[in-house]
Amino acid sequence: MSIIKEIAAAVETGKSKVVGGLVETALAEGIDPAVILNEGMIAAMGVVGEKFKNNEIFVPEMLIAARAMKKGVEILQPQLQKQGVEPIGKIILGTVAGDLHDIGKNLVGMMLEGAGFKVIDLGVDVPAEKFIETMKANPDCKIVALSALLTSTMPAITSTIKAIEDAGLRNTVLIMIGGAPVTQAFADEVGADGYSEDAASAAELAKKLFAQANK
Amino acid sequence: MNRIPLDRKKESQVIGSAKLYTKAYVTDVPVYNTPITPRENFRMMLDGKVPFWMPSDQDIFTINPIILPDNVSRAFVIDIEPLAEEKNGGKDMFGVDWEYVPSVGGSMVKPGRPMLSDIADWEKIVKFPNLDDYDWEGSAKKNSPYIDRNKIVMSWVFNGLFERLISFLDFEAAAMALLDEEQQEYVHALLSKLCDLYDDLFGRLQKHYGVEMIYFHDDWGSQRAPFFSLATCREMLVPYLRRVADSCHKRGMYLFFHCCGQNELLVPAMIEAGVDIWVPQTMNDVDMLLEKYGDKMSFGKTPDPLAMDASDEEIFKAAKSFVDKYKKYKNVYCFGGMQARGNPAFAKAIREMYFISREEYNKL
Repeated sequence: MSIIKEIAAAVETGKSKVVGGLVETALAEGIDPAVILNEGMIAAMGVVGEKFKNNEIFVPEMLIAARAMKKGVEILQPQLQKQGVEPIGKIILGTVAGDLHDIGKNLVGMMLEGAGFKVIDLGVDVPAEKFIETMKANPDCKIVALSALLTSTMPAITSTIKAIEDAGLRNTVLIMIGGAPVTQAFADEVGADGYSEDAASAAELAKKLFAQANK
Repeated sequence: MNRIPLDRKKESQVIGSAKLYTKAYVTDVPVYNTPITPRENFRMMLDGKVPFWMPSDQDIFTINPIILPDNVSRAFVIDIEPLAEEKNGGKDMFGVDWEYVPSVGGSMVKPGRPMLSDIADWEKIVKFPNLDDYDWEGSAKKNSPYIDRNKIVMSWVFNGLFERLISFLDFEAAAMALLDEEQQEYVHALLSKLCDLYDDLFGRLQKHYGVEMIYFHDDWGSQRAPFFSLATCREMLVPYLRRVADSCHKRGMYLFFHCCGQNELLVPAMIEAGVDIWVPQTMNDVDMLLEKYGDKMSFGKTPDPLAMDASDEEIFKAAKSFVDKYKKYKNVYCFGGMQARGNPAFAKAIREMYFISREEYNKL
């Protein structure tokens, strides 16, 4: 098995103690850090996402895979920086105002990182002003991802999008939304650019939106 | 027990009144002239016998005593002394702080600052409550005269096994701990000690309030899937849920499992653990589950919604179709109390289900 395949297998199965050593070996063999990242780790997280979507694996397996990838990235990071390898994009993520739920949002964050994005996680109960402030501080951010778990906090998605519009920033980002009560119909109604029903699909959607934003 | 033919006139008679506790108020409800008590009828279903009628949650008397901090923190006190809404939330019996969310009428632990950052430290950090600290005698004295013992008396026990782990660790860490070999031994030890506490708790609930059924609260899934696989569940949770079930059964009590989420895949685990009854949320295919597992445990099923202004004919039709569809399993319980309270047509339909199932169950 090639070292890249070994890294991918270790990430996929959540072997966080092994991944670092494998990444070091790959680097010592002169393998391009970008290849290690993309073909080893990000590809593995893609497989994890697919299996999660199909109920072949569940939340714990996904979490330990994400943890293993993180370990690998820690080793890889200095080399990636040296080579000027940047994350594929930046995403601002948060659960909207009035909603304290973070499980779905955190899983989405992990899968976005697993897909190669830099995620600015604003946490839970995030007021619209905070999203706007973060957007202004990160003008290179192309996607804002909003989460709500409760029907009673879905209106905060609407008001956050409205506040982004009022701040004159709507054209600078694409907005994706999700959460248990959220549907595609709701996304259409509030003028979001995308909706996904689970964390793995969110990473795919983000890649699609990012490609769209960079056209 | 001899079957008794339906006497609609006689069984429509109100022969008294009893108290019904809710979160917000205590009220009086009529007692009907049933051939056996709703309690006996419910127990028949749970014991695998053909009940006299299809039980509903109108046949359950719930008491979640105010003296138990978990009931306050989770905002589900159901006691002769209802709790003012603004007093909900706060510390549970382990000292974990819960934040009440008025819009949903429930509480959650604010994420990001878990009591345990490393489960290996649980013995040092987690302080198990001493159940002697609560005024059981005083609470029982206040409540006992009002507990409706014609119904099956039930009490909720919050935070179950996985939920309790989440409350200590936050969700991600709790989920990983189920699978991480280095953390699993601590999970086993913590859950084992938790089972000792629950055993003590169930005994006290039975002794002081006559509780016969524990509504054990442990959410295992999201809207689309279980949180964990059946294998993980079998390895990490089933041994302890079985102990919880054993704690009920050895006292002649039943285990009513509250488990939100799309958990069809985990039903074998519930059965192996000895759960007596589960009400799947609507995203589960209850009809499929009944076909597959209907002979192994009881299921609750919520009837379809009924318009507030439904006609008598529509009400009868809804009640008849529900009973006709589910009577063959003999162990389906009609879960619809919340709708019945706010919707007179629904309440009427539940009453009608009683009469229809009284006749139909005699034919089984």
